[in-house]
Amino acid sequence: MDKSTLLLLAIILAVFGGSVAAGHPAWGTLTGIAIILLAAGLAVGTLPLQSQDYFEERIGPSKRTSNSLVTLSSAAIVAIYAAGYHRTSSAAHKFDSQTPQQRTSATIAIVTRPAATSPAIEATPSGLRSETPAIKKNAKRPSAPARKAVPTKSSDSASPSAPSTSPAPNPPANGAAQPATAAQARYKDGVYLGWGSCRHGDIEASVVIQDGKIASVAISQCLTRYSCSWIAPKTPGGGFPDLPGQVVERQSPKVDYVSGATESSYAFADAVIAALSKATE
Amino acid sequence: MHSPMRLSQPCPKRRSDEVLRTVALMGTFVTIHVVGHVVGHEGDPGPAERSEKAVDRAFEWFCRVEECCTRFEAQSEVMQLTTRVGAPVRVSAILYEAVQFALAVAEESDGAFDPTVGYAMEERGFNREYRTGKTIRTALDFSGSVNYRDVRLDADRKTITLLRPLILDLGAVAKGLAVDLAARELRPCKNFAINAGGDLFLGGCNPDGQPWSIGIRHPRSDDELIDSVRISNRAVCTSGDYERRSSKHDGHHILDPRTGSSANAVASVTVIAPTAMLADALATAAFSLGPAEGMQLFDRLGVDGLIISPELEQYATRGMRDYH
Repeated sequence: MDKSTLLLLAIILAVFGGSVAAGHPAWGTLTGIAIILLAAGLAVGTLPLQSQDYFEERIGPSKRTSNSLVTLSSAAIVAIYAAGYHRTSSAAHKFDSQTPQQRTSATIAIVTRPAATSPAIEATPSGLRSETPAIKKNAKRPSAPARKAVPTKSSDSASPSAPSTSPAPNPPANGAAQPATAAQARYKDGVYLGWGSCRHGDIEASVVIQDGKIASVAISQCLTRYSCSWIAPKTPGGGFPDLPGQVVERQSPKVDYVSGATESSYAFADAVIAALSKATE
Repeated sequence: MHSPMRLSQPCPKRRSDEVLRTVALMGTFVTIHVVGHVVGHEGDPGPAERSEKAVDRAFEWFCRVEECCTRFEAQSEVMQLTTRVGAPVRVSAILYEAVQFALAVAEESDGAFDPTVGYAMEERGFNREYRTGKTIRTALDFSGSVNYRDVRLDADRKTITLLRPLILDLGAVAKGLAVDLAARELRPCKNFAINAGGDLFLGGCNPDGQPWSIGIRHPRSDDELIDSVRISNRAVCTSGDYERRSSKHDGHHILDPRTGSSANAVASVTVIAPTAMLADALATAAFSLGPAEGMQLFDRLGVDGLIISPELEQYATRGMRDYH
């Protein structure tokens, strides 16, 4: 900050000195030159100023002095960002067409506790456990399939079986987009299966759609190198805890996010995505 | 409904104007959460739309970085390097900076972090693309061991030269870099969280107007947190031996480049740093270095960290206290 202010001051002084030296008859042209120089000075001065600000903001004022790696990583980001910003501007378009339903952030998912390793499709009403995860507190991997469920919620917000106890984060200015997505992505009733894989094996998820909404999500098969207990540790009662529920529990209201979460849940999430894609076909 | 956020307001009160989106990218789930909308000029689209657009662009950075740096796609820029051993290859800014940074960390950690472990990783079964499940097998004229000194950079021409047949694994750097670029993109939003599978960057405050509260996963219990920290405008990354077990061997995803097998001295490492790229790379380096040397590295670089041994002993830098 100081550096560039000084730089600017130096430029102004140089111009002023130059004009004085050249004498008053040339004042008019020199004013022009001065303005150009000032503009150039500003341009030169603000570029490093911006990156420096950025850097300082991230380091924090009270932190120990910088070092080579911290500087290098910050410089790398500035360099790439400066080189590639214009490319990202087209992204809005791309995402618009790809994922219209992801634009809503209110989310609801109703999840059953899978009965056993055998296909847990026949979810009895007693096995139904309704979850209204406050996704904003809880944006972990399994929330992706849950997000797919958004349109069902918005299309069916009057349904008593979907009580939104937690204040769901609703983007206010999405009014135009919402009705369209709600009409478009209502799921067809039925039981859908989908596979998800991670580096240690495959998981099959079964998703039950009732009244156009996700009624339950369960692990129906687990072909991993490690037992399913590694993917979803067994509860003392013997059943698997449902993964989204697990995340809800783990992320107590105290914590916004968890650093160092496992990969285990995303094979499951992939499987749910695959299953839901069939439900919308 | 909501008032536009003033830039001078450090931690606004709870608001309903949030954007939250999760996409499967870079072998994990990436969640971006923006709290409060961007201030714009007259005639601009509405504030919510601006936030949405900023989030779109932030996700686009993940796509770009993944395109360049993935080891699981033979056509990616980094894998194309392997086909032209010995020749300088002109690369994109993303790949150049990622490799340059990876090599600098390798130098600083004396090879405890080394981006040239790609082939060894592939050999050990870390070779499957996460979305398609397709595996990649690279035919390499592989002769003996390689290390980070076998990669040459030309800063003027922005070229990378592989001196020997090798595969660069930018896993630890690329995800962090993408998080940082997304964070740079979201800077106008001020209050935001980016979570790329436990690699986090937290900007400003959470919806409650407090610094973001981040739990650190217990390395031996999926349901428990071993600690939690308060973070604002910084990155947090945790590497654990519980993640990404190899399909072939009984090993986890972090190889000690010096021995070629899974590093076993620690159970998990958490680093808090100004950038996610640095945090992730140092967490990976500390994995191979072990608690004592890892702590020295953190102190030397001025970052904060928490190392947990397999016996669950905790080693923390002095600065970690400031985050509680």
